[in-house]
Amino acid sequence: MTLLNEKQSPLARFVARDPNLFRLIIMLVAVFAVMGALRPTIFLRPSNLVSMAKQFPEYGIMAIGISICMITGGIDLAVVGTANLAAITTARFLIASVPKGSPGGYTLSMILMGILIALTVGALCGALSGWLISRFRIPPILATLGTHQLFTGLAIVITEGRPVSGLPILFSRLGNKTLAGFLPVPLLLYALAAIIIGIMLSKTRFGKQVYLVGTNATAARFAGLNVKNIIMRTYVTSGMLASLSGLIMMARVNSAKADYGASYTLQCVLIAVLGGVNPDGGFGTVGGVTVAVVILQLLSSGLNMFENVSNFYRDVIWGGVLITVLITNHYLTEHKRRKALKSASEGCGAPWGNLGGVAPPGST
Amino acid sequence: MMLKKTLLLMLVACTTFAVFANGEGERQPKPESEWKIALVPKDSTNAWFVRMEVGVKEFAADSGLNAFQKGPAKTDAAMQVQVIQDLIAQDVDALCVVPVDPAALEPVLGEAMDKGIVVVTHEASFQENTMYDIEAFNNADYGAFIMDNLAKAMGGEGEYTTMVGHVTNASHNEWADGGVARAAEAYPNITLLDSEPRVESEDNMERAYEKAKELFKKYPNLKGVLGTSSKDAPGVSRAIEEMGLKDKVFVAGTGLVSECRPFLESGTLQYITLWDPKDAGYAMCSLAAKILRGEEVADGLDLGLPGYENMQFAPGSDKVLIGSGWIVMDKNNMDEYNF
Repeated sequence: MTLLNEKQSPLARFVARDPNLFRLIIMLVAVFAVMGALRPTIFLRPSNLVSMAKQFPEYGIMAIGISICMITGGIDLAVVGTANLAAITTARFLIASVPKGSPGGYTLSMILMGILIALTVGALCGALSGWLISRFRIPPILATLGTHQLFTGLAIVITEGRPVSGLPILFSRLGNKTLAGFLPVPLLLYALAAIIIGIMLSKTRFGKQVYLVGTNATAARFAGLNVKNIIMRTYVTSGMLASLSGLIMMARVNSAKADYGASYTLQCVLIAVLGGVNPDGGFGTVGGVTVAVVILQLLSSGLNMFENVSNFYRDVIWGGVLITVLITNHYLTEHKRRKALKSASEGCGAPWGNLGGVAPPGST
Repeated sequence: MMLKKTLLLMLVACTTFAVFANGEGERQPKPESEWKIALVPKDSTNAWFVRMEVGVKEFAADSGLNAFQKGPAKTDAAMQVQVIQDLIAQDVDALCVVPVDPAALEPVLGEAMDKGIVVVTHEASFQENTMYDIEAFNNADYGAFIMDNLAKAMGGEGEYTTMVGHVTNASHNEWADGGVARAAEAYPNITLLDSEPRVESEDNMERAYEKAKELFKKYPNLKGVLGTSSKDAPGVSRAIEEMGLKDKVFVAGTGLVSECRPFLESGTLQYITLWDPKDAGYAMCSLAAKILRGEEVADGLDLGLPGYENMQFAPGSDKVLIGSGWIVMDKNNMDEYNF
């Protein structure tokens, strides 16, 4: 914990407040600069920037969900299963309730209804994971792996493995719209989700409780917090975010299927860790996750720009990035810990110290 | 506070988009040397599509055009959409796509066509947003071709049955029907096993093996099995070897060298048939280039490689083009194929 000095420049204060976010932004700028320099004619083209902005929200929102769970010291591997189950339910509902040629107003009201249905399904899915974790103390990684299988299995049973298509065109049109020529609706939804969750984590009591549970669940329990309830609400939030992702995917591919986005789960965990969310809990911000999502999208779209770089390398590059981040974080925490110990022995450390890099929740 | 910074960052990013977005114009005609033809497979790391890339590179070398393959690293419809979206943003001139899931690609391929990009698909005969879909062959003709191979192995006489993955699988059954029709018309001494004319392997090598053992025990006169699923021929071959029926009972069908190699080497299985993804990749790029040049696409179209030199429209369709692009693999040429 660096004491804030009023005389420091705004930049220095920003760096001191969240060094992780600062590092990520540097990385973002670096990736952007490298790609822009190597492929200026394609990469910097506006259509490419808009196209990237259309792509990342669907998994970015899932990554935010996984991140909140990771902040409590858990993880939600069921996000993709939840997203698909919610999308399939909504798709079935829309197909049944909106016959071809329905008036626009009626279709729109049914779409709103469908969105509510999706969010409800998402919340129920999350509640099941949360219940398994809080009631039966099943380790989150196993509990959500189980619910993921269950949701995907249900989705396969409902659809017999086939895509559900024939949605009202309006849904896909709304979901793929680019407002004012540069602001895709998915990006808007991502921003909305990021702002709401960001405020929830940093400003509300629930947010502080989430950090506290992740830092030390036992201490939280002794402090009189209802840990079970907090965990439950965390997974419900994650499930609802996942269902929103499911709707974005559904709009983009104009159909729903049990295995769309099957490869997103691990990608989202990667994003969360890259964004500075501590897998042991207690740490992480939506800002960090957002920058990490954008970095991965830049890398991914950037790699698609090199005709001669085979997609075999994609996983290698992503894995390389992740491991680099993990190692860097390790050294930085070590460095911080040693510094904290030193200053503590000199008698001027903060009363709660800074051992192990654990910060009090919400101390931004 | 930090939230505000993030918001500010987003706002800046959006404004940047807006500033750039005004500079975008309509597509301009380009010289051939600047054309970009991109082929998007289901999964670029899968052996089948690695083989397809060989065809794309061959086409690029033959034509001097810039043709390349770019695909998702996993078979995932959502990832495939992202790759296509990236390619559209990069202003490719033609997209050749092997859809993971045709329904999922309709919006993004529609977007591509709206932007004037040439779209060609493969193995997606019901795709709406495509200019042309290439199919390697007509299903009945391919079935007849498998029958020819089986008849050769059986020495032109004996009793046979057909095996499909599932009786609900449309293409497997069309192949089998084609084979049966061929036998009825060209091989008078080859007869279909009436009591069980079509058996199921459930697309599973183990099931094909068990089913074949059951058949051979029940019908000692059975001399041939016409397989359709790629799991049929190797599964039946294993049963033939285990029951010591080599050179007495024969099997022909679709197969992958990777799974059939030991049986081709031992001679239990003489031929497996398939279509070569390399040829399909070449053909798609070749068709895309023809469309870009403004050449007419009509019956008898020649895409410049064997099996695809006389393409025909499917009956009643002005989109689905069918070739005769099957191949036979045996002991001698199997090393050419890596899938």
